[in-house]
Parts: sequence; structure tokens; C-alpha cells
Amino acid sequence: MKQLTRISTTFALSALALSIAATSHAVTNEEILRDQQTPEDILSYGMGLNGQRFSPMDSLNKANVNQLTPAWAFSFGGEKQRGQESQPLIKDGVMYVTGSYSRIWAVDARTGEEIWQYDARLPEGIMPCCDVVNRGAAIYGDKVFFGTLDAKMVALDRETGKPVWIKKVADYQEGYAISAAPMVVDGKVITGTAGGEFGVVGKIVAYDAETGDKAWERPTIEGHMGYIYEDGEAVENGITGGEANLTWPGDMWKNGGGAPWLGGTYDEATNSILMGTGNPAPWNSHLRPGDNLFAASRLALNPDDGTIKWHFQTTPNEGWDFDGVNELISFEYEEDGETVHAAATADRNGFFYVLNRENGDFIRGFPFVDKITWASGLNDDGSPIFTEGGRPGNPFGDDAEDGKGETVFAQPSFLGGKNWQPMAYSQNTGLFYVPSNEWSMDIWNEDVTYKKGAAFLGAGFTIKPVNDDYVGVLRAMDPHTGEEVWRHENPAPLWGGVLTTAGGLVFTGTPEGYLKAFDDETGEELWRFNTGSGVVGNPVTWEMDGEQYVSVASGWGGAVPLWGGEVGQIVKDFNQGGMVWTFKLPSSAGNADVASR
Amino acid sequence: MKRHFFGVVAALLLFPWLSVNAQQTVTVVPDRTYDKVMESGYLVAAFYEDFPPYSWQEDFTPQGIDVDIARRIAERMGLELRTFWISPDETLEGDLRNSIGVGHYMRRGNIADILMRVPYDKRYAYQQDEMGNLINEMGVLFGPYSEEQWRIAYNTEQLDSVNTIAVLQYHPVGVEMASLPETYLSTFMQGRIRDQVRQFRNMTDAFDALAAGDVSAVMGMQGEIDYHLDRLADQPLAQAETGFPSIGKQQWDVGMAVRFTYRQLGYAIEAEIDGMVREGEVAELYHQHNLSWSLPAYYDQILEPDDAVLELDNVSIDP
Repeated sequence: MKQLTRISTTFALSALALSIAATSHAVTNEEILRDQQTPEDILSYGMGLNGQRFSPMDSLNKANVNQLTPAWAFSFGGEKQRGQESQPLIKDGVMYVTGSYSRIWAVDARTGEEIWQYDARLPEGIMPCCDVVNRGAAIYGDKVFFGTLDAKMVALDRETGKPVWIKKVADYQEGYAISAAPMVVDGKVITGTAGGEFGVVGKIVAYDAETGDKAWERPTIEGHMGYIYEDGEAVENGITGGEANLTWPGDMWKNGGGAPWLGGTYDEATNSILMGTGNPAPWNSHLRPGDNLFAASRLALNPDDGTIKWHFQTTPNEGWDFDGVNELISFEYEEDGETVHAAATADRNGFFYVLNRENGDFIRGFPFVDKITWASGLNDDGSPIFTEGGRPGNPFGDDAEDGKGETVFAQPSFLGGKNWQPMAYSQNTGLFYVPSNEWSMDIWNEDVTYKKGAAFLGAGFTIKPVNDDYVGVLRAMDPHTGEEVWRHENPAPLWGGVLTTAGGLVFTGTPEGYLKAFDDETGEELWRFNTGSGVVGNPVTWEMDGEQYVSVASGWGGAVPLWGGEVGQIVKDFNQGGMVWTFKLPSSAGNADVASR
Repeated sequence: MKRHFFGVVAALLLFPWLSVNAQQTVTVVPDRTYDKVMESGYLVAAFYEDFPPYSWQEDFTPQGIDVDIARRIAERMGLELRTFWISPDETLEGDLRNSIGVGHYMRRGNIADILMRVPYDKRYAYQQDEMGNLINEMGVLFGPYSEEQWRIAYNTEQLDSVNTIAVLQYHPVGVEMASLPETYLSTFMQGRIRDQVRQFRNMTDAFDALAAGDVSAVMGMQGEIDYHLDRLADQPLAQAETGFPSIGKQQWDVGMAVRFTYRQLGYAIEAEIDGMVREGEVAELYHQHNLSWSLPAYYDQILEPDDAVLELDNVSIDP
């Protein structure tokens, strides 16, 4: 009996391999644009370029989710067990999933068996800024694309895992890296760059998906020239922001930061890439009076040539390390009989913004965290009403004459009301499900030190929980009223993405190791499964052979253990890992099949 | 207290010819007010030793831009310059105490009239302790004559560029021992660059190692970089335009300090150095030394953009 099973499995495998070869076809731009409506595949980060992370499937629902059962699990192997922030993709019965340290696998989506693995050959001793994570890949044509920690874009043959082209996006030795998933729009692979800690100027780069030829490049900081490439030649395509020094003093714009390190979303209706930018540099905001565009902003770019259509800056003259990179999710709603083309984002700074995505105009905004100390609210144009004394002081100002290292308490902390972990929007409830955190920080300037004719001054941050019993809060937010419809508190900070479905479910993971499902209307926890390591990845759902599957990467890591300050105490005993877990409802046939393996 | 007393008595018994000096050591600093300085015919300026291009001695001859500036100040006041050499203490506070406050503990009372190359910073000057007393009451800071900043120099055969200090995670970087660059590079981002930091006794050794390719980069002050790149002009060395994340003060003004009891002397010298800055004489002296010079930020606040005194073309000179 056992022998028979093995033979039949082997046979099934070879048959499967054949069927992959036979059925996999070149993914078109139209398929990517329809990604959200086609549950049998997941071709893009966000389960659709708009980033809603909403699935129209409802066979898995509130009534049966409690029976959700593991179908298979896959280990990333090796010793690199840290920081699995990836989102799996699915096409033609194959899962494409990235892991930390710039690795990617193709896995049989029915059995969890490995088809191929590709490890980027990272330079010896590479020291990427902010952990070793990778957030996912993109599929187009017969290729799969992902960015690496040494700031390269890699195109692999989807069937063999062999590299077709590899392009250096930026110099890792200067502090650049890529951790975000790329997106493919109209045959162009588009990526941002990470590395704000070193003051590098952020840029967004597009490549021809087929050839790897650079198509355009757009710096995110005012004063830097953008380029399009014609026959390999760089052609000037306008200075970002028009000219230098409009919102920056002196030559500060040259090292202005603004890293678009989290990638972006795409809105088909307006043909815009929506991408956010990191904090400006240097850290002391008093050294760079002005808005410091386009740092801490959301940008709408033309995917054809990288020109900026509009911008919306969440934190002008940013001084708290509130990156503006968080995802801008397109959604529609009816108002006065008209459809509003809106987009929403939950910023690191604690405010939730609803924008008109046709022109970037501010529609409304409200706090999505319990307390914000640095601003008391938003003006009619969406700019913050700064709190007096809420900004870390100028260590060189005349107001700092007491000579004490000044400490400012700020909430949220620099890790943000919400960090990289993407929220989800339900077309059923009209709510956003926001994986947020309640934490604060002390920012202090050290006393200036002089030695042998030279000056030095440092600064520091300490991150602290606000409440004794929880940091993470999964929130259901009404984008029209700002009302928190429900909340679910979690002891550790939430660091994984959210998925919501037409079946009335909201999925997210916890650093404690659970993948959880909630009722999208009440927040009631309906199901949980312990994956064995912290879940900081993005759950996905898809359909295969008439059944609904759910997958998530498991493996604790990311920025919290690196920067967590006192919060580190909460998470210090969590163990690392590197797995993909896949779940489905037990069907009679499927159940027997799984049991026999 | 007792031991100290016996020490003095012993010194007097053993070395009676020292008695005059010893008396000064215990009680007073020289009473060199403005009038007495003018009467004496000389000005005593303190300099950091072995600190090119600012101040050093070659065959017992004082050298350097700070020496020349001090000499011109003295000349303008009709005085002769006398030099006074100090080793840097751990912080500026110690330097002020040793050079113009009470004198080094090995030579109490032996002080100069002014100390050169003192960062001009009102906030530092007004720092207070818990009781509200001024911490740095010994020295009065005045007369900013230059602006300084941190810089990276690199070996162009080893590095194409140093656009960010992230590069220093991967390539050895030379610093002067016990300097602020050493502290900065060793602690930045939880010590990411620490393993690449190479210490040298002084910047001359660091730059010689850079030229030899033993380190790929050196971090120092603008003047030091200018000087050593000029000294090693036949070597493949260049200066980078790197920013320094998390250093709050990237540029600072450099001036002088005088003892708090000699403010009148300070005012007189301030008038001279202010004239030298406005008339372009300081810029010219820097130029003669092949050093770049930037107008102190102090003047940004007190001069109108079209102020006549600054119709110098050489407000910022690149050598």
C-alpha cells in the first residue's frame, strides 16, 4: 500500500511537471490588471496592483473558518532563519515565495514540494541597513522578478529559476538596498530603493521586463534630475520638484534622503504609480527649515516616464523619523451620487489620510492611533497642526541655552503608528483593517562636545510601550468617519500584513507565532494557528481545484528586534524561523489525500 | 591639604630659587589685563601643538594658519607674538582651564592671554550645571574667524567615490586617536563601521597610510584634509562631499577664548579679528596656506547680504 502510494506520487509529480510546462504561459499586463478578480492566481504584491489585499472569494467564511487546516508547510531551510516578511505569489499551480537574505523559491502549490530555489549571491560581509528581509516578487511574461539586499533587480525564468538578467539598481556600498516587492506595469519592472539611514537620495527606477534595459529613473528629492533612457542613452527628463532650494536650504537637498523603500501600488483609473518616500536627512530638522519635498510624501508617478503628477506630504519638515512610505490603497466610494476616486494611507505619523487620487487633494484625515503628541490635528489641506514643544529641540538654537541635553517625548514612536505592514480594504464592509501599534519614544539631543577645535553632537531614541498589556492593535477603520469600528489588541507589536475576503474574514499574523482570522464586522477572533515562529509576512488566499487556500510565511524578525528599545523585552524570547504554511478547508477527497501523505 | 602644604614646603626647602614661581603657582594667575598687555609689548597666544595646518613647530619655529592669524592680531595691536603650546585635554573645558584659566596642574598660574581655534558657540558658553552656575566660566568665547566642518578624504585607486559613509562599512578608514571622528565612526548605527576604524597617532600618519593604501579613507576637519591633500598632491587622493548622518553639528565656527577676568583684552582683539575678517585678510592668509576658507556663520546673522564690507570675491576660497 505504501509502495503503491509512493509510485503514484512519483507519477503524479512527473505528470505535474509536464502539466506546468504545458500550461504555464506568458503572463500579460491585462492579467496583472485583473489580478484581484482572478482568485486562481496572485500575480502582484497586494493581491492586485491597487494593494487592497481583498479577495472576492467566500467559500471560506465566518461559518467554516474554524475548520481551516494545514495542507502543507515548506521550510526555507539553511541557517538563515530570520525576518520572513514576504508575500507569496501563485500562478499555474506554482507558488513563488521570497525569503530573507534575497532568496526565492518555486514551490508546487498542491504539495508544497520545491521546484527550484534561487539564492542571490550577496557580497561577502554585506551590511544592509535594516535587517535582511525581502517582501516579495512580481510575475510578468515568463519571468519572476525580485530585488536583492545588494540593490540589484533580478529576473528569473519562471520554470527553471535561472537568471535571465540582473541589473544593479544602486550601489549597496553607499547604503542602498532593496527589500520591497517590485511591481510590473505595462511591461516595466518598477522598484524603489532603501537606505535612508545613510542619507542616500531615494530614487524610483523602471526596467523593461523583457530586456532589463533601464526605462527611466526618478529621484525623489527636489533638485535632482530625472532621466528617461532612449537606446541606452540617458535623456534629461526634468528636475524633481522643478528646481533645487525651493523647500530646502543651501545644498541640503544633495543628501536629502526620501528613500522609497517600501515600493508602491498602481492605480489603473488614473494610470498612476502611487509610492511613498522616507524621512529627509539629516536627522536634525532645524538644520533644514522648509518642507523638504518630496521626503515623507506620497507621490503619483506616470509609469511611462517617471514624471511626478502630484504629491502629498504627510509630515513637512519631518523631525521624528516618520517615513512617508506606507502604502496608498486606491478605493472608490459614492458621495452625492458621484463616484469618488480615492486613495487611503495610514502614515507612520499616526494619521490616516483619504486623498483624491486624481490630483492628490486632501479629502479628510484623522488619527488611527490612541494618541498623537507631535500634532494636534490636520488643517483643511491635510497639513499637520504642529504641537508646540512637540518637535525635538534645536540643540544649537538660542532657546537651548540651558545647555541640557533636551528630551522630547513623542507618540507614536519612530517605528510608527503603522510600519511597513500593509493594511487591507474590504469592498464588502468598506472598512480598512489597519495593523497598528501603540508605542512612544524619547528623543534626546546629547550635549554638544568640543575637542581640539572640533564639534560633535549626537542624538538618541528610546522606544517604549504605552500600555502594560499590549502594543499591537488590529483596527477596523471607517474611512468616511474616522470611527474605529472594532479593535483587537495584541501583546507584541503587529508586524505582519492583513488580508480580507468577501467571506467576511480578516487575517493577520502575530509575532507570537499565530495566524489569526477575525470577523470583519465585529473583530471577533474566529480561528488561530500556531506556525511555530512569529508571523511578519503577508497572508494571501487563492483558489485551486475548486478549493480556497490560505498561505502565509512564518519567521520572526524585521526591525522590532533591532530597534525595539524597551519593546525588545516583550519580544526577546520569540524564536526565528523560515516556513510557508498553507491552509484549506478539509474536503472529503482532499482530506483523505492529505492524510495519506 | 596637609600633603599639599608639605609638598610646597619641601619644594621651597629643596629649591629655594623656585620660590617666586612656587608662590605664583599656589595663589595667582598673572595679572595681564588689557593695559598690562599693551604695556608689556607682547601678546601670549596658546596653540594646540602638532596640529597642522593650524599650529605646529618645525625646528622650534611656530608654523600654521592660527599662528599667522595671531601674529597679525598682535601686529595690528603693536605687539609681539609669543607662543604658548598645549596638548589637547579630553574636552575643550580642560583646554580652557589649562591654557587661559588656571594653568595646567603641572604649571599652575602659567597661562596665555588667549587660546586660538576655540569653537564659537553661544550655547556651549552658557551651559549651566544643576545649580545654575556656568560650567565654562573660565573662558569667554569671541572672535569667530573661520568655519570648520568634517570631511572625508579617500584614495581614488581604492574607491570611486564616497557618497555616503555607508561605504566605510566595507573599507578601512583612518582617524586620529581619541578624536571625535573615532568616537563617531566607532559608534554610528550600533557600531557598524567600528571594525573598519584604524587609529593613528596623528593625522600626518593617517594620511601617509592613506597614500600608501593601508586605509581607503580618512575622516578629519576641512583644514586638515586641505593641508594633507596639498602635502600629498602627487598621490591619488581626493576629498568627498559626504554628509555625516546623526552628527548634529556638521559645521561650526572657530574663534578664540580669553580669560573671564580679561574681557577688555578680548574686546580689543575682537575688534582686530573682526576687521581682518571683513577686510578679507583672514581669507587671504588661508589662501596663502592653500586652505579653503568659509565665512563663519556668525556673520550670516549680523551682515546684510549686500553689506559693503563683504564685497570680497573670496568669501569662500577653494585652494
